[in-house]
Amino acid sequence: MPEPVISVANVSKTYGKDLAVDALSFAVMPRACFGMLGPNGAGKTTMMKMIYGKSIRDRNPESVISVFGYDPQVDELSIKNIAGVVPQEDNLDEELNVIQNLRIYATLYNLRTEIAAARIEGLLEFMELGRKKKTKIKELSGGMKRRLIIARALLNNPRLLILDEPTTGLDPQVRHVIWEKLRGLKRKGMTILLTTHYMEEATQMCDRVLIMDKARRIMEGPPARLVADQIEAYVLELLSPKAHDAVRGLRMPDTVRVDDSTDSMRLYARDIDALEDIRRHLTPGEYSLRQSDLEDVFLNATGRKLHVKQ
Amino acid sequence: MSNNSGAGYPSLCHRLYAVWYRHYRVYTKNLLSNGLPPFLEPLIFLAGIGLGMGKYVSEMNGMPYLEYLASGLPLSAAMFTAAFECSFGTFIRLEFDRVYDGMLAAPITVGNLLAGEILWAGTKGLFFSTAVILVVSCFGLLPMPVSLLASAIGFVTGCMFAALSLLVTSFVKTINHFNFYFTGFISPMFFFSGIVFPLENLPAAMRYAAEIFPLTHSIRLMRAIVYGQWHPVLLADAAFVLVFTLVIGFFAIRRLRKRLIV
Repeated sequence: MPEPVISVANVSKTYGKDLAVDALSFAVMPRACFGMLGPNGAGKTTMMKMIYGKSIRDRNPESVISVFGYDPQVDELSIKNIAGVVPQEDNLDEELNVIQNLRIYATLYNLRTEIAAARIEGLLEFMELGRKKKTKIKELSGGMKRRLIIARALLNNPRLLILDEPTTGLDPQVRHVIWEKLRGLKRKGMTILLTTHYMEEATQMCDRVLIMDKARRIMEGPPARLVADQIEAYVLELLSPKAHDAVRGLRMPDTVRVDDSTDSMRLYARDIDALEDIRRHLTPGEYSLRQSDLEDVFLNATGRKLHVKQ
Repeated sequence: MSNNSGAGYPSLCHRLYAVWYRHYRVYTKNLLSNGLPPFLEPLIFLAGIGLGMGKYVSEMNGMPYLEYLASGLPLSAAMFTAAFECSFGTFIRLEFDRVYDGMLAAPITVGNLLAGEILWAGTKGLFFSTAVILVVSCFGLLPMPVSLLASAIGFVTGCMFAALSLLVTSFVKTINHFNFYFTGFISPMFFFSGIVFPLENLPAAMRYAAEIFPLTHSIRLMRAIVYGQWHPVLLADAAFVLVFTLVIGFFAIRRLRKRLIV
């Protein structure tokens, strides 16, 4: 069994009276993509910041964070030297253009001039920004800024890439391009830790996900296994009040679970036949019958209503 | 080629240089608009004083008034540029552009980042004071080439006001609060540090207050270099400047660290 790249044990973080992370433990294995999922305010970003030393965990003798064997509170420089970080907010240097932004970071990483030039060239090509070298940051689209930030995080050839909501707010094309790039990096042996609230992103990218809510761990495992273990295989979503009424009049078999905690109603079953029977009483366009996915697991686990921090 | 271990991170010197280099690149990007004013400002000042006020006040402390002023102006330029850089400049990088958040993901610590800021502000102090020295010596107001040595005091003054401004920044929640700092502290310093008139004849209370002003001490050091008047009190001035920069810088970094590492 290889050593994990990141081990987190019993880590908590409080801001004043607010508990942002509550006794979290997990491990990220080499060459894996590990995803932290959760609604806004669940504590994902805080956990991530503690990993690269931007935030300090609560003092507790049993609390451990180890990244490549280094504790971020003792050896932040060693971790930063072999990890790349893509933060949630765009924090490019707006006073500099695209290539100057990368050059400044090449200097921060102390890359030799020739190596820096070659690597910058390569990364701009890889991120499809080759023609934007001299462009001002303000003139870049949201997708280009994100790609540039990822390129910046790759300058030191990191062994670990940490991404905080890498595709939030981007259009589907850009999102797919970024996923493709990240999968390419993973194939080359990079370990990836990301946070997201896009279930599709987690399903597409992650070997393993940790679902968090209100500072706590809810569940953890490979996405496909979570879907198989944690929820019925099929779901029938009723989209109109008329459909709700039609279904309420029916005798529901024991194998169907009804969730009507919000305005829309969902029926779950392991076996598609039971749902097919119900569907026959509905008009097309009023329902959707599909396989359940990670989003159903997630919403089932974290609830459908918003809470204070969201 | 991949890094195999974290231990090979850049040396302290390189980390400070990298931060300094970032500021240098941003500053030299607009060379004309950033580089010209330091040379124009003393011209305007000398024109105003020389053609206007100089007609009424011809002597100060036994020397021509313009010469008296010229031996202090280089340092007020260093003070203003460093104070702006590490108040408004730092605040914008900290809160609006989030430049620091990005840089802190690279192998540097908060201490490196802020020490690099102070060194950069010192460099600007050096550049600004040199510009003023060159301009005023064209009019024969400062002895050359010895006055060029006083640029070093420009560097020290820049570092000193950078440290102080960082400490002020650590308390500031909205950018408008800096108005208090500039109106209440930096501007009075210009008048009560011995640049415009000697402090010796001020009321006793104000004389003591002026001794607390950091600029007073660097002005004395500069005049000693320019006119070659050495005196044991200068050691106290040098010690004040050094200790002030280190102590204030230490607390500024400590307070800003709490803001950057949450």
